[in-house]
Amino acid sequence: MRILIVEDDAALARGILSLLRAAGHAVDHVAGGEEALSVSATEPYSLVILDVGLPDIDGFQVLARLRARGDQSQVLMLTARDGLDDRVRGLDLGADDYLRKPFEVEELEARVRALGRRRGGDAAPEIAIGAMTVNRSTGRVEVAGRLIELRRREWAVLEALAARAGQIVNRETLQAEVFGFDDPVGSNALEVNVTRLRSKLAPDGPAIRTVRGVGYMLDPSTGSG
Amino acid sequence: MKGAISLRFRLLLAMFGPLAALALVLGLLGWVLISDVVRRTNDRVLGGALGAIAETVQVERGEVTLDLPPAAFGMLENSERDNVYYRIAVGRTLLTGYADLPAPDISVLSVDEPRFRFAQFHGQRIRIAEIRRNLPRIDEPVVVQVAETLQNRNSLRDKLMIALLIGECVLVGIVLLLIRPALGWSLRPLSDLRGVIEARDTRAAPDLSPLRTGPLPTELRPLSRSFDRLLARLDDATTGMRRFTADASHQMRTPLSVLKVQVALARRGSGEALHEIEEATDRLERLLTQLLTLARADEAGVLPPDHEIDLKELSQHVISRRIRQAIEADVELLLEAGDGPYRIHGHRTLVFEMLSNLVDNAIRYNRPGGMAQIELSAEAGVVRLAVVDTGPGIPAELREMAMSRFARLQGERGPPGSGLGLAIVKSTAERMGAQLELGDATPGLWVTVTFTV
Repeated sequence: MRILIVEDDAALARGILSLLRAAGHAVDHVAGGEEALSVSATEPYSLVILDVGLPDIDGFQVLARLRARGDQSQVLMLTARDGLDDRVRGLDLGADDYLRKPFEVEELEARVRALGRRRGGDAAPEIAIGAMTVNRSTGRVEVAGRLIELRRREWAVLEALAARAGQIVNRETLQAEVFGFDDPVGSNALEVNVTRLRSKLAPDGPAIRTVRGVGYMLDPSTGSG
Repeated sequence: MKGAISLRFRLLLAMFGPLAALALVLGLLGWVLISDVVRRTNDRVLGGALGAIAETVQVERGEVTLDLPPAAFGMLENSERDNVYYRIAVGRTLLTGYADLPAPDISVLSVDEPRFRFAQFHGQRIRIAEIRRNLPRIDEPVVVQVAETLQNRNSLRDKLMIALLIGECVLVGIVLLLIRPALGWSLRPLSDLRGVIEARDTRAAPDLSPLRTGPLPTELRPLSRSFDRLLARLDDATTGMRRFTADASHQMRTPLSVLKVQVALARRGSGEALHEIEEATDRLERLLTQLLTLARADEAGVLPPDHEIDLKELSQHVISRRIRQAIEADVELLLEAGDGPYRIHGHRTLVFEMLSNLVDNAIRYNRPGGMAQIELSAEAGVVRLAVVDTGPGIPAELREMAMSRFARLQGERGPPGSGLGLAIVKSTAERMGAQLELGDATPGLWVTVTFTV
């Protein structure tokens, strides 16, 4: 999924970036609050990881302004402060979750996964579509008991489509969810990934249909089972 | 309490001493007064009897005669049964009475004027009243003497003295008895104050707000004010300390998070992670050193400025410690100074840390191929130390903020700092009474510290 990290500490941002990219997410990083507001206005982030202590405007203000303009992205607050007040304030302002520095890496990953599941309105970690099961916690994909090895982009495409199985996912939306703006993307990178994914799911998995001029759809009625 | 006399005892002592002395003086004065009064009144009676007897001394046919009036002796009768003696003599010749009653020296007696004196008679003290009369046709003066023993006088005097002493004792006793309750009553505001202070002591987190004592007597107001001042200073100190520890722990959380993330990445086989871990540990180490320095700078306010420091020698020392860092960062490190002397007085370690932080900043926030320079100059009464770099500088409006603790300036200014460097410089300069000024070196930062010699 597409994630924005708002963190002024460059070293920490680099670390989280590596972690989440390795988990197959498309991740961008900005260091300031204003910058975060301007990029999130144009990019469809599913999750914003927001540090409270930013040099220009603090994370609470960023959150308040995001919510004020109707942004529905999941927001995970990161803070170095101890106080209960901060946590309550963040959650009251519309944060979805809260993590205190220094955090355990596994916890960050689990919370990111949990928030990702909630995005589709379905918090269950495992989705079954026909003969395919997709476990969003472990990243494990099986088709008729056969384990499917996916590359990170392929996983991102599958995750995005599986969350909205049976619906057409707009091509631009999918593109934005799969690639960060730092990713070197060729004009047909999405098509390449979709094609590879399609062949890995075949023959007994659900089909990925191309709706010309609109986007893609994971068809739950196809595939055996 | 050992070593100090209790207030009660002090007051008791302070009041009892003068009171006892006063009682003694009153007693002595009473003794003199009472003796005098007793003597006068009895002398009057004795004089009356003498006069009555002397009246009856007459000359009959060339002979001196007298008719002792019984009333005269009746006057002298009293409950103490004092003995009464008399003697009437013509010249030295006894006419009647006690021959051995001490005779007066006739020449000192004036005519018809009674004289009184004490004398010894048969082993007793007596009071004698005597008068000299000159009778017509009698050559020699007639001397009439009446005397009495002193039992009555003494007993009267003693009674009066005893009454006086009893009065005094009662007075002193009452005063002493009253001192305790009076002291308790007077000292009650003090124990009330103690109660208010003790109430503070029992709280889990000490309440350092001013005491709310209500109205206090004038004597206790300075005490309460001093206590409030002490509380206020303590409050400042603890608040500062609390804020500092909160800031410090806050500041350590980010590098710790970096470490955790990078350790996890390293475990998953990231080659880059080790380098990141190294950087994060360096950062933590630097942060710790600076926190300690800052704590020391805050604490050093209590130390006297005891060292004579040559800034030139100190600068050379700092440069030799920082030269490797400068070479790695490709920054040229320079010292520009005359022959000196650049002597100041102060805490050597503090000044060293201050300069060290300034040079560290100048190297850290610089550009490859840049320059960091220490400049020393001296004028009348002042020594000026400046550190100039060729980095991005600090915009004028942010300079004040840059000197506060944990201030991090917006934007990417090279490697992450702790936000403590300039705070250390500021704190040290304040401790030493030196002036700190940030300026432009176009481009770059120019920091001047002016020491008053």
